[in-house]
Amino acid sequence: MEVPISKIRLNHVFVYSIILFAFMISCSEENYNDSDFVAGETFTSSNIRLLLIDSLTVETSTIKFDSIPTSESTRMLIGRYNDPVFGTVTTSSYMQLLPNSYTIDTEAAFDSIVLVLGYDKYYYNDTLQRNTLHIKRINENFNPIEDDYFYNTSSISYDDEDLGFLEYNPRPLAGDSLTIKLIDDLGTDLFSKLQEKTIVNSDEFKDYFKGIAILPDDTDDGSIIGFSKSSSNTYARLYYSTATSDESIQEYLDIQINIANNPIPFFNSIKAENAIEPLQTLTDGKVNLTSSNSYNQSFIQAGVGIAMRIQFPNIATLYDIPGNGTILDGILKIKPAPQFYDDNLKLRDTLAVYVVDQNNELTEQLSTGSYAILNRDNQEFNDIYYEIPIATYLEELQLKTRDLDDALILLPLNYNSSIDRFIINANGNGENETILELTYAIYDED
Amino acid sequence: MKINQLFFTLLGLLLIITHELTAQSEALTSSPYSLYGLGVINQTSIGKFNSLGYSGIGIKSPYELNNLNPANYALIPQNSFLYDIGLTGEINNYSNSSTSEGKSNVNFSNLAFGFRIMENLGAGITLVPYSDVGYSILGISTNVEGSNESFKSSINGLGGLNDIRFNLGYALVNKLRLGLSASFLFGSIEENEAFIYNAASFESTEKTNYSGVRLGFGLQWDVTENITLGSTIQLPTSLNGNLKRSVNKTLYGTDIIVEDETADSVSDFKLPLELGFGLSLKPMEEFTLSADYKKNFWTNTNQSENIGNYVDQDIYAFGLEYLKDPKSYKYGQRISYRLGYNYDNGYLAIGDNKVSGYNITAGIGIPTSKGTHSMINLSYSYGSKGVLQNVLIKENYHLITLNLSLEDIWFVKRKVY
Repeated sequence: MEVPISKIRLNHVFVYSIILFAFMISCSEENYNDSDFVAGETFTSSNIRLLLIDSLTVETSTIKFDSIPTSESTRMLIGRYNDPVFGTVTTSSYMQLLPNSYTIDTEAAFDSIVLVLGYDKYYYNDTLQRNTLHIKRINENFNPIEDDYFYNTSSISYDDEDLGFLEYNPRPLAGDSLTIKLIDDLGTDLFSKLQEKTIVNSDEFKDYFKGIAILPDDTDDGSIIGFSKSSSNTYARLYYSTATSDESIQEYLDIQINIANNPIPFFNSIKAENAIEPLQTLTDGKVNLTSSNSYNQSFIQAGVGIAMRIQFPNIATLYDIPGNGTILDGILKIKPAPQFYDDNLKLRDTLAVYVVDQNNELTEQLSTGSYAILNRDNQEFNDIYYEIPIATYLEELQLKTRDLDDALILLPLNYNSSIDRFIINANGNGENETILELTYAIYDED
Repeated sequence: MKINQLFFTLLGLLLIITHELTAQSEALTSSPYSLYGLGVINQTSIGKFNSLGYSGIGIKSPYELNNLNPANYALIPQNSFLYDIGLTGEINNYSNSSTSEGKSNVNFSNLAFGFRIMENLGAGITLVPYSDVGYSILGISTNVEGSNESFKSSINGLGGLNDIRFNLGYALVNKLRLGLSASFLFGSIEENEAFIYNAASFESTEKTNYSGVRLGFGLQWDVTENITLGSTIQLPTSLNGNLKRSVNKTLYGTDIIVEDETADSVSDFKLPLELGFGLSLKPMEEFTLSADYKKNFWTNTNQSENIGNYVDQDIYAFGLEYLKDPKSYKYGQRISYRLGYNYDNGYLAIGDNKVSGYNITAGIGIPTSKGTHSMINLSYSYGSKGVLQNVLIKENYHLITLNLSLEDIWFVKRKVY
């Protein structure tokens, strides 16, 4: 008998060969080498070049927003001081008050009415100077002009005579609150209208008592103090007592700031008058005051809405570098002018960074977490600066996914609730103090 | 049937072992020198030649495939079908002036078969790795231009090229054989560079596919019964490269794709003209001496790496085989014992230093049965490459190669008793 062995074998060999081949291919693809071996310096060199570029044009200017919505301020700002650069800064608060109850016992007798203002720990400038508070009665309804907000520029009329008056030494950190006695005329009138049920709801109350304004004195040159808006810290309190057979029981009724309505009947008026001349040219939000026209400086003031504007018009020159490259880092360094800050006019550690379009309309906050952080490493040499990581923003500009006319602006945190101001050494007339340090990787030289 | 059983059992065993080992092995090579060019060019040959110092251009071997000279295929006997399956294990140690590190891996080294087509004409196909890339180099420090700072990157490479070679050998007259080979070279090399600088990280991966065809010729001349001369020529060729690049980075914790498999041009890699001369002689019946000289004309390719140039390479190889009597009835007398030495002065010049290397080889060939010429060839090689200086890395390696060099008788009708 004859068997065709060779055919069977050939098939086997073929199958095994395929498997073997598959192994040869597969084992060259999947497994990576792990190694801790550090080669000698010149054994090989990187195929990638990193360039640190600090010569890219940074255009700096100052803008001023037409208005800042302050009906959403987190605090009352009240005070007045003279700033060497920004002029006379005056802030005052306007608010509507509502009682927490409309019932007073018919047997009760009026005692007094006071206004309690709780500190909220914010202050700016010299708190060793005495401040003055004037409490005025608003005689106009809270009606916004255009939209649902009141702004730092809003105004509302009030009666000339004071409801209350206080000269005080501010103790924003150590102190708890201020108490101002209001005139009895107001107290008795209010008391009787509530007791006699002439006023039984908020509409009737608002109609009768439209609100109060709290103003500094026109001659003050002290500090701006922040007071709390919360009903537990700030309120008007109406004291009255009920006589029983052997003693008199004192009770009170609180009248609190109305923040429940929409539009919110509250705002801080914030003004800065007689600023240095270049700042007075900022009459419109679209105006860019280039730093070369303002002593090579840029300015920032919260509340009033003055912001430093930074633009990178020549980012496309990165494409002039031969080879294919990509941005790996971009740090913007911004130096506050040393002669313009001190213990009273403080620097803050953090500034917020926003993006504006060519009309200086605020479009967004620079990606979350991108703040200007004060680097104090070389404070002893007076070399302190804010650092802003802006690589992502620069890449968007470079790749044209963002309009080249966009610009960054710097504003203090909570710029609708503070009066912090900063003077920055900027660029112009050959000075180049605001610097962009860009790290650029070239991964293909061709 | 005995041979067949043995053959398939061994093959099955081999597959299992290999599967176990490749699952743990790291890459085809562990040499830092595979950073350059197409990687480390594979020296390993087929069958017994691995233990003869990789010499054999002039060795006349009718029963074993000789990948060093296609002319030898003319000697394949009628009705024989020759296979060769090879496996290598490498233990590698490399060091520079301050550190050293060890590596090991196991891989296939070849798959080959050959057969006779007609009187005086034999053919065969071999699949061998042409080059291996597998390296990982850390801490490459580079200055950031425009600053005093530097960044440290790590570079990894992986891949390699395969060589499928078609061989034809023709005996013009009894003493003069001519050979022709056509190699199809293909494969890919991936290089990866990554670093972290300040808040950003960066990684670029370039995968280059190479392919090309190379022709070669061979000649063997039996001067006398005991002296054979051989010569080979590999024509220069250029491997077409095809690059795909991916670049990724992170900015402030966000992953960004800069380029995704973007095609880019890459210059072709040129392989040089290679000339080889070989001699074998049998001063006594039991001994076979072989000596090869190869010259590879790298200088003419005008290629360079960022640290050095390609320069002409000389390779010297010597081998000695002792076989008492292949036809003896005593099994012990049919075992071959081999020794070899190979010196390679290198094709890469870094400064004035060439990366030269040498190998010392030893091995035995164990016949599987008396009926055929099948052999299990085991070979050990100790090699060293590079010099321990500032620039170069010294690399020592132990290489064990197992070749199943098998013969099957085909096309013969057997009688079954």
